[in-house]
Amino acid sequence: MSDKPNLLQMFLSVLAACFGVQSSHNRERDFAAGHTWAWMLLGLVVMGLFVVFVIALVSWALSLAGA
Amino acid sequence: MKIIGWGLPALFGALGLIFPLSAAAEWQVNLGPGVTEISRAVYDLHMTIFWVCVAIGAVVFGVMLYSIVHHRKSRGAKAHNFHENTLVEIIWTVVPFVILVGMAVPATATLIKMYDQSEAELDIQVTGYQWKWRYQYLGEDIDFFSSLSTPREQISNDETKGEHYLLEVDNAMVIPAGKKVRLLLTANDVIHSWWVPDLAVKKDAIPGFINEAWTIAPEPGIYRGQCAELCGKDHGFMPIVVDVRSEEDFNQWLVEMKQAKAQASDAATKNWTLAELMAKGEEVYNRACAACHQPNGEGIPGAFPALKGSPMMVGDPAAHIDVVLNGKSGTAMQAFRDQLSAVELAAVITYERNAWGNTTGDLVSPAQINTLKQ
Repeated sequence: MSDKPNLLQMFLSVLAACFGVQSSHNRERDFAAGHTWAWMLLGLVVMGLFVVFVIALVSWALSLAGA
Repeated sequence: MKIIGWGLPALFGALGLIFPLSAAAEWQVNLGPGVTEISRAVYDLHMTIFWVCVAIGAVVFGVMLYSIVHHRKSRGAKAHNFHENTLVEIIWTVVPFVILVGMAVPATATLIKMYDQSEAELDIQVTGYQWKWRYQYLGEDIDFFSSLSTPREQISNDETKGEHYLLEVDNAMVIPAGKKVRLLLTANDVIHSWWVPDLAVKKDAIPGFINEAWTIAPEPGIYRGQCAELCGKDHGFMPIVVDVRSEEDFNQWLVEMKQAKAQASDAATKNWTLAELMAKGEEVYNRACAACHQPNGEGIPGAFPALKGSPMMVGDPAAHIDVVLNGKSGTAMQAFRDQLSAVELAAVITYERNAWGNTTGDLVSPAQINTLKQ
């Protein structure tokens, strides 16, 4: 229950937080162990990826429109 | 099974709601496909999104009805008690996200085309007034107002209403077919909105602000629209008519408009008699003034002043001419300096000073108005 999340699990938890859906089991696990700064850093990385994703999506939509 | 008792009527009720959709286009309940490439793109988007909504509705209500029926229990049953289902929550978050992005991509493509104002071959400034439109063909020295031409008798139900009731004007906006026409929209008094569904153009006309829109009407024809922004008492009485002509006919129209302008200038120098000005003035009054001051000159108490017996109408002509030419700030009285020609202004002022028992005998000449307009 209190096992420390690995990097992949932390990444998935940050995605789940962005998404707004997380299981109680994972939430309790994430709050039980780990460093706050690691979560914040990962959060910033995921936000950066999200911005890149939005830029790519808009560029794609614009290329479809021939702009 | 108790469910049969109400399940079947519900099913037929649902079918009854769905069935009329096939007939919607005939009833003109649905958005029309219009005549331009953009209007068809808008229509296709509209229908795509409509069917996406229908599918979502069918799935959501299907699951809901199934759940209600399948999981029904008799009174006293103990409900399950559970907290979450992560998979279901992820599905109902991801699916709407994918649907929204899927709809936004083609919508963006169409919007970008709609906002591409480049390479227009004709620029027309469209100005909204209470309650008429003004069209100025930039670089062509053509400038005219377009007002409702439906007879008052039809509006007051004294005559049978015509085919284009409240959708007909004295001077239509004429454009050439197959050419990109850019519209520069603004307003003189309050916010209006220039809307012609067949061209898929609907743009606000805002005082002090210029909005742009464009259209390429592929075929000659008459396309009708209306003001789409509540702009006061006669908002429903300022229609739009776009007359699309072949390039040859359009060029001919340009020549005719320029000739008419030269003739109007000649008419202003002619010596008009009181009877001539009264006849012309009545026509102008009914077209430009009667909406507010009423055909009998009695106005609408509390809103628009009476002209019948008014001290201004029977007093000094200079004050009367000034108000008609320049309007009256703080009131709904517009400046008619640019809206009417010198002859029309002289005629309508003469008419107001000699109609409904106003017996000044004053004759205001077009030459007099021309001097004041300069």
